[in-house]
Amino acid sequence: MTGERKIIFHIDVNSAYLSWEAVDQLQHGASLDIRTIPAVIGGNPEKRHGIVLAKSIPAKKYQIKTGETLYAARLKCPGLAIFPPRYDLYVRCSEAMLDLLREYSPSLQRYSIDEVFLDYTHMEKHFGDPREAAHQIKDRIYRELGFTVNIGISSNKLLAKMASDFSKPNKVHTLFPEEIPEKLWPLPVEDLFMVGRATAPKLHRLGIYTIGDLARADPALLKKRLKSHGLLIWNYANGREDSPVGDFPGIKSVGNSSTIAFDVEDRKTAHMFLLSLSEMVAMRLRNAGYLARLVVVSLKSQDFFSYSHQRQLYTATDSTNRIYAAAVSIFDEMWQGEPLRAIGVRAGALVDGSLQQLSLFDPGDWLKQRAMDAAVDKIRTKYGSNMIMRAVFLHSGIKPLTGGVWEEDYPMMSSLL
Amino acid sequence: MKVLMKPVDMIATYPRDGLPIPHKYRIADTDGTARVIKVDRILYRTEEKLAGNRMLIYRCQSTIAGTQRVYELKYELNTCRWFLYKM
Repeated sequence: MTGERKIIFHIDVNSAYLSWEAVDQLQHGASLDIRTIPAVIGGNPEKRHGIVLAKSIPAKKYQIKTGETLYAARLKCPGLAIFPPRYDLYVRCSEAMLDLLREYSPSLQRYSIDEVFLDYTHMEKHFGDPREAAHQIKDRIYRELGFTVNIGISSNKLLAKMASDFSKPNKVHTLFPEEIPEKLWPLPVEDLFMVGRATAPKLHRLGIYTIGDLARADPALLKKRLKSHGLLIWNYANGREDSPVGDFPGIKSVGNSSTIAFDVEDRKTAHMFLLSLSEMVAMRLRNAGYLARLVVVSLKSQDFFSYSHQRQLYTATDSTNRIYAAAVSIFDEMWQGEPLRAIGVRAGALVDGSLQQLSLFDPGDWLKQRAMDAAVDKIRTKYGSNMIMRAVFLHSGIKPLTGGVWEEDYPMMSSLL
Repeated sequence: MKVLMKPVDMIATYPRDGLPIPHKYRIADTDGTARVIKVDRILYRTEEKLAGNRMLIYRCQSTIAGTQRVYELKYELNTCRWFLYKM
């Protein structure tokens, strides 16, 4: 990049799910603000979705962590208040925040349901100094929408994101390149974006404990030990990142998975879950206009051991039946008969769906299959997804389509800035 | 005023070029009997969109059991429901 430097905001909602639930409750007449007591948003333990999705700041004082089981959280804090997740509410809150932010810049990127990048470059003329504008945005969101946000300001997306994480809640932080040695380098290396559970121990073995250590490390050594990822995080530690604020990059794969309320122990039931997931995955593929050349099946056993297998298809497809057939054959090869608690199907290696390469070895009725898929999609869109289903699901207690579409449309976490 | 947020049965008019106007509503009393209250005057109207949920708030005045009371009604656009918000 040449010329004047960019100004990027990263807006991050503080304990998003919990704050949104709190505001909704207050608006509907609740007298207690659940942000002020130990409270969490958690799934339904009876369906085995019982993990903490978001926590209040008082809950944090009990060492409750996002992602741990509600059972473990209750042990730490017996009086803990638990509320179920409400995704429709979260989408509404996120939309309202985006509407407000659109007043400040035409260039926005929804990074996840509760995080937005905003390009403030050249906007000083309209809204003044970036710090003042950020304070104004933060205060307006609180006043009009009722929840608090952190805003990080810098010259690229990475530094803005690191800045918004400094201290919470309801704060504005800056992290311009000249502030890196003072504000970024003393932090533990795990705090850096893209340094996670797997990378951190490797860096510790190299004697790298802070982001500053990483920034000063020898890039050749990092490349040797961590491949290209080593260079990426070395650049990040030095604050170098230069992706534009733009729409969410095109999707790389489409997948759905489900944690099942009971352990699956027989092949027939497992196949039904594969079909149910394939229906959703294929429908989303067709809806997005892609064909997939890769099918991945992932399993999680009763004792939380996860593994996955994948297979390339000879020709790209969006047909429910072909994806299901591939998933079944992968599953039959990999499954050792252990009880399963979660099953996932993912379609990857996507190609544009406007042209379709056929194969001599494909079943001859592909045109009919395609017409049938289209008809089923049409019925489901118009009358609801349960209006038409495969007979195998009748009286089975298994849903004919499995997997929330919503979470995938607003990714919870992404490695792409 | 205390926050009540009690759902009420409402008779309102919806003018062709404006926002709804509440006229009278029915609310269950503490002993369970229904009580009908006529809205004598609308003092002012505000709007909120907390959590992205639009609600109209009407500051109103009525004579209830012989005394003049000021209170607030709320209309939730999303669900088309009326509430006695504060009294």
